[in-house]
Amino acid sequence: MNEMQFFHFGLMPYPFIPPGEEIQSTWVTLSNRHYDPKVGARLYREYLDQAVLAEKLGYDGTCVNEHHQNAYGTMPDPNVMGSQIVARTSRIPVGIIGNALPLHSNPVRVAEAVAMLDVLSEGRIISGFVRGTGMEYHSMRANPAYSRERFWEAHDLIIKAWTDDGPFAWKGKHFDIPYVNPWPKPYQQPHPPIWLPGTGSVETIQEAARRRYPFMMVFAPLSFTKINYELYHRAAEEAGYEASPEQLAFCVPTYVAETDEIAHAEAREHYLWLFHTGLKVPAFQHFPPGYTSGRSLRGMLEGRARFGMKDHWELTYEELIEEQYIIVGSPQTVAEKLNVYAEECGAGIHVGSSMQVGNMPHWKVVKNMTLFAEEVMPHFRPPGNKPAWERGVPLPGAADLVRPVPDPVPA
Amino acid sequence: MAVVDLKAPAVEPVVLDVAGTPVAMRRKGSGRPLLFLHGAGFTGRWLRFHEALAQGADVIAPEHIGFGGTPLQDWLDGFDDLVLHYDDVRAALGLDEPFDLVGYSLGGWIAAAYAIFYPERLRSLTLITPAGLPLEGQSVVDLFHMGPEELFGTLFNDPANIGEVAPDPEDIDAAVKGYEEASTTARLVWERRDDPKMPRRLRRVTCPALVVGAEHDRLVPDEAVDRYAQALPDGRTVRIPGTGHALIIEQPGAVAKAILDFQEGVR
Repeated sequence: MNEMQFFHFGLMPYPFIPPGEEIQSTWVTLSNRHYDPKVGARLYREYLDQAVLAEKLGYDGTCVNEHHQNAYGTMPDPNVMGSQIVARTSRIPVGIIGNALPLHSNPVRVAEAVAMLDVLSEGRIISGFVRGTGMEYHSMRANPAYSRERFWEAHDLIIKAWTDDGPFAWKGKHFDIPYVNPWPKPYQQPHPPIWLPGTGSVETIQEAARRRYPFMMVFAPLSFTKINYELYHRAAEEAGYEASPEQLAFCVPTYVAETDEIAHAEAREHYLWLFHTGLKVPAFQHFPPGYTSGRSLRGMLEGRARFGMKDHWELTYEELIEEQYIIVGSPQTVAEKLNVYAEECGAGIHVGSSMQVGNMPHWKVVKNMTLFAEEVMPHFRPPGNKPAWERGVPLPGAADLVRPVPDPVPA
Repeated sequence: MAVVDLKAPAVEPVVLDVAGTPVAMRRKGSGRPLLFLHGAGFTGRWLRFHEALAQGADVIAPEHIGFGGTPLQDWLDGFDDLVLHYDDVRAALGLDEPFDLVGYSLGGWIAAAYAIFYPERLRSLTLITPAGLPLEGQSVVDLFHMGPEELFGTLFNDPANIGEVAPDPEDIDAAVKGYEEASTTARLVWERRDDPKMPRRLRRVTCPALVVGAEHDRLVPDEAVDRYAQALPDGRTVRIPGTGHALIIEQPGAVAKAILDFQEGVR
């Protein structure tokens, strides 16, 4: 089988809320009266223990992300959580996937925080950048109509802040900052690898390929992931190179147990929580006006009409398995399904390997993580089952940072 | 008194070059020029309301930047851009004498902003269930935080005429167009759903002004109608019984008649 890297990733949900069918949304408007900080403290402790366990078990990395005002993922500041993991571990790479750039009023704050973490961890940081979900534009009152513009301007500003000596003045459309001069600068040179997690907008995929940034598909069916990887491959060809497996990541929650039957029995209710409750989001929250382009919206609506694509919360467990939103089974079953991504899609990074989801209890997470590390990972690694960071393999996306970025292909 | 006809024949748009920007515009009727500024929707067609107004005026109905047949422009970013744009529209139309300005909902906000900056250009100002004025302790319902069905349910108190404007849920073109128009609205109002400077600035508007309210508006609080009229030096109100925020669709004849009667009485 082809090689693959495995990144642990827990969303850190707060699962003690009413079921999806009883609420309008798990985001924006679900009252935080459901949140009990004593329970929250226990959950954070467990979630951080799981990240520490990922290092012990030899995962290739562990990840955090940013979401606001919701019960699906209680990490409004991924850098705070990243800092906790950096402090509790010593060698495992930490992926911040990512900071939601358009939601920040001054991107220099992000440049500073990520650089701090990179220095503190002596170069273990992967810096993902995202736009944030549509829901966050409601929650944070950021204007979705400028989301994409702000994202790329903030991105360009951060990269320049990390690579050019300061102070320099930034004069852009959205940010006008007379002294950009962050202390510290990143530990990794020229800067930490950049990942672009996404849900499959054409614009993001093409831009990621042009810059050779690893692109990650999140919670998508295999068929849709394939289409988007093809777009990436094509855009890479147009930019004059061939995309490598370390540029294509997929976030597909995976549960492994002794047998297929045991795996389904143990996993089912938790995955149903993730999709039916955690991802219960009405369309008007998901796609505030301007968040996506008219062209992308048309593609989505036509896709729904033609292929009968459903919202996450409408999918049955059987559909989740069949369309491979999730992977559940024995080590052999899971390895075979993962191998499809490696062999057929050319993907080399699995994010969300054995992740905690929904109301999955700590013991199941530990069991899943352990079995996954011991019984699934060896299929995709050289003999010895050592993580990339013990084999001296650079972080995905690191090697390409020294290459010049070609000019965009005119639309 | 104006005669009101409720049946709207199609009126095709023409494209007017406004300082290099193409603007789709429908025009019909005779008499004094009446510039009508539409709200955040109900575009792309000649409404029965337009037709009713055209029985007593030369109705000029341009579509805002990024609405209907008028393409979005990069420079559009706030109400000041629209105020300057509409003064360019006025110049392109050759409206050199004071004219009657009418704005509905979002268009009411634009019209009020225009009147503040160019009070001498106006013969009269009419605001129909206008947005834009801050109200103590009350806010406009979040029209971005609802699906189309709930939105239309909120706009209409009397759904009898809803078919004139309600989109077919299966029509992807209409859904995309509606999303793009909402995206333009977001550029203007996402962060701030009213203008805190408006109450003080309205003192500059010296022409006779009419504020048309619904019987009960479930989108923009009813109080906005009275507050606008109080803040306008020569303001008055009229309310159309049996209507909600979509009063120009619910009762196009009654709304048009109230406006034409008011404009006729302006000396």
